[in-house]
Formats: sequence, C-alpha cells, structure tokens
Amino acid sequence: MFKAVSNNPSAEPKDIRWFYDQYAPMLLGYINGIVQNHQKSEEHLVAILTSFVKDVVILQEKSRLNIWLELRQYAQSKLTLFTAKDHQLKPAPPLNKGRLDLLDDLQKQIFCAIYYHGKSISYLAAAIGCDESEIRNQLKLSIDKMRRKSGN
Amino acid sequence: MEINKIIESGLMETYVMGIATKEEVQQVLSLKKEYPAFKEALEQLEYDMEVLAQSMSIEPPAGTLSKIEHEINEIQRRNQAVQTTFEPKYRHEKSEQESSQEKYIQVESESNQMRVNKAWKWIFIAVFVLGKIFLAGAIYFYLENRQAKEQIKELKIELKQKIR
Repeated sequence: MFKAVSNNPSAEPKDIRWFYDQYAPMLLGYINGIVQNHQKSEEHLVAILTSFVKDVVILQEKSRLNIWLELRQYAQSKLTLFTAKDHQLKPAPPLNKGRLDLLDDLQKQIFCAIYYHGKSISYLAAAIGCDESEIRNQLKLSIDKMRRKSGN
Repeated sequence: MEINKIIESGLMETYVMGIATKEEVQQVLSLKKEYPAFKEALEQLEYDMEVLAQSMSIEPPAGTLSKIEHEINEIQRRNQAVQTTFEPKYRHEKSEQESSQEKYIQVESESNQMRVNKAWKWIFIAVFVLGKIFLAGAIYFYLENRQAKEQIKELKIELKQKIR
C-alpha cells in the first residue's frame, strides 16, 4: 500500500483514506494517552500520520512488526518531549481508558509507563523498587488480563 | 514443551511493547523462524494489541483527513519541484556514464558551450596531424611540380637553341 502511495498518485487518496480509517482513531487514542491534551493530540495526529506516510517506504522495508505496532513506536519516537525520562511515572489516565480499568494500580502504572512512555524494564524496576522479573511478570499479567477480556 | 515456557516467559510481551533489548529481539526473530507455534502466538499477540488499541481509540474530528491529505499533497508538490530542478544535472551525469559506449556530441540548447565526448579528443588530434601531413605533402608536390615545369621550360629553350 505504501509503495502505491508514493509511486502512484492516482491511488493515493483511496489508500490514505483506508489507512486513516483503520489507524487514525487508534493513534489519536494513543497520542492522547501520552500528551494528555485533546487539542494538542489532534495536532500531533496530523503531523505524525503525515510524516509516517512520507517516511514509511523505508520503514516498511526494515519493519519486523505489523503496521500498528510500527506506527505506535513511530508515534512514540516523535513524542519524545512527552516521553522523556524525567516525565512523571504516574500520568493521568487517558481519555478513553478502554480495558485499563481491569488492571490494579501497580499493573496500570507499569503498563502505562511502558505502553505510552516507552520506559524500560530496568528503569521501572529502579523507580518502583522491585525486581526486573517482577516488572516483566506484572506486564505480562496486565496484557493477559486485557486480552482475556476480548476472549483470547 | 520448552517453547511453551518461552511463550509464557513474557518475552513476546516485551517485544511487542517495543522495549526488548537487542539480544531479546534477535531471540524473538530466531524463535519465530524456528518454531511455528511461537510465530503463531506472536502474531496473535500483535493482533490482540491492535484490538486493545481499538478499545482505547478516539474518533478524530471531521476535517482531520483533509488536513493530512493537504499536507501530503504539499510535500509531494515540493518533492516534484526539487526533482525538476535536479533532473537536468542527473541526465548529464547519466550521459557521461554512458559516453564510453555511445559516440555522439552532446549539445546543451541553452548554453553557448558544447560538451564533447572524450573520445573526440583523439579524433581531433588525428585530424590535426593528418591535416599537417596533407599540407606538407601539398606544399612538397607544389614545389616539385613548379620545379618540374621550370626544368621543362629550360629544356624547351635548350631544344629550340639546338634546332637553330
């Protein structure tokens, strides 16, 4: 699809629309979880989707992940101002919490710090004051809890 | 059995969350190649992460798509402008690369100067040297001819004097 976007101008609007319909709401929810400001999130959404479509030919060739995971990591890298290391560990919950309510406080804290702010296991272990294996375990538990909710 | 342990170890979750170390990424990629069960579990997890993101999605306001399309069109227009600027230079470089095979004189329409294939240098030298040889030959034969005419003239005079 991306090669078609870059090489075939006539196919572009349809492909971008498809991509937008598929991923823009998810990406806006994700950006809002990081930025915590609806107005700014919308501005970032436009900028990130535009640059992703522009840069994506290179990315897709190197990519080992599916499009959404690639897009999420791309967005995270573009929002380094908000995901900086000294950013507070307990951010306000996103506008649409989705299945986050299923998690207990510690799981929510670990999941959000990794999912939205890309914090490493070692950083969280040091910040929370527990073992790295405990962080891994809590992360897996929290993902499993949310997956079970959707029947997997 | 062992692969099930790895699947349950939390390695896949670290990978899809984008916080795996280089070693862990390599491990995941090799396990994905080696074990179909691991590959299937990883793909299922990736899909579930997408479903999870859908559950937390927010509908963008109307007009966002047209803003993105406008931005992309602007970028494409700028790229096309840059391509148009650099295209003649590119064409010239390409023709230089092909010059060893193609023997032609390249002329730039908007310039007073003419670019010539390097092979023409030897042709011009050969034409110059041959020109000099022909010129020298022509002068030589002209002088020879003139001398021969003078000798014929002298012989004619001599012959006339002998007849008298």
